[in-house]
Amino acid sequence: MANRAEIPTSNSALIAMIADEDTVVGFLLAGVGNVDLRRKTNYLIVDSKTTVKQIEDAFKEFTSRDDIAIVLISQYVANMIRFLVDSYNKPVPAILEVPSKDHPYDPGRDSVLSRVKYLFSAESVASGRR
Amino acid sequence: MEEQDSETQSSGSGGEEETLKLEPEGLRHDVEDQHVLQFLDSLDGYITLMDSLSLTLRQGWLELASARHSMGASRVNSALLNLKFHSASTSLQVTRNDVDSEANEANFTLCKWASSNSGHSSAGEKFREDKLQTKHDSPDLRHRSKSQFSDETSVQSGASLVADDHVQRERSKSLSVFGTLVSPKLRAAQLSFETALEMLVEIANTRSTMLSAFNRVKKGLEDIKS
Repeated sequence: MANRAEIPTSNSALIAMIADEDTVVGFLLAGVGNVDLRRKTNYLIVDSKTTVKQIEDAFKEFTSRDDIAIVLISQYVANMIRFLVDSYNKPVPAILEVPSKDHPYDPGRDSVLSRVKYLFSAESVASGRR
Repeated sequence: MEEQDSETQSSGSGGEEETLKLEPEGLRHDVEDQHVLQFLDSLDGYITLMDSLSLTLRQGWLELASARHSMGASRVNSALLNLKFHSASTSLQVTRNDVDSEANEANFTLCKWASSNSGHSSAGEKFREDKLQTKHDSPDLRHRSKSQFSDETSVQSGASLVADDHVQRERSKSLSVFGTLVSPKLRAAQLSFETALEMLVEIANTRSTMLSAFNRVKKGLEDIKS
């Protein structure tokens, strides 16, 4: 396949988070928090003061790091940078959209499901039958 | 008569060729159906897992809110998070799943509560290895003498106790960010988020399978069009 990206294998990859405070604190209790020598964390807590630029920068940083295998992002935060999330198509790190307290999960907005619903459109089925 | 026979033979051989041509076609359709089924199964699994994740996260948030209520908002907030250098106790192992030459699936494995100190062999992983060792040895245990059996089970139970102690220590270390004495609700929230983490890894693997199956089905459709 022409656009097949290589999967970087790793024995101790991290889980990055871009989410609200409660979600981040909860997962940090589960032991996923990492702070490197430069005091850079593997999470960004999004609140009312967080700008879209900060979210974009965090997303670009986490998806370009070799030591991160999964990026958790609250779906309402992903909606703020939807273009960036939908245009991402590498296998690793995997982008997982999770619900938040005030915004339940909407399968219609999920970037992975949006990508595959092409198969269920009438056009694709009809063109296959011609 | 001979001409009829030769015609029959030639039509017979042509029929065999047609059968041979049809067999690869039939096999191709079977393979394509298999890809479609795999895609639909993984899609269903993905949506079901996301529903379960929502329920687990909701429970975790509720427990966290209860802990905040009992301990006070100043004791359970992000301002207390440890910003000193430390590595994650829970990490992932990423391997490549070579189903076939076209597949490019990533496989994620969760390593919970490995040592947060770098350079030490992680007791979390050790816990998994001991479990595997137990499973491997269990059929042979029946053929050994009682004393050996009791020695081995005591060693295995000792090893699992060591691993349990290590996991409990790592959990306490994680909770200690919010103080020495914490509400039981905070401990419950920790367990809920651990469960959510396991689900997320399962979701990541299902996502990987779904995208791989989707690419194969899409390629099959493009081949039909061309």
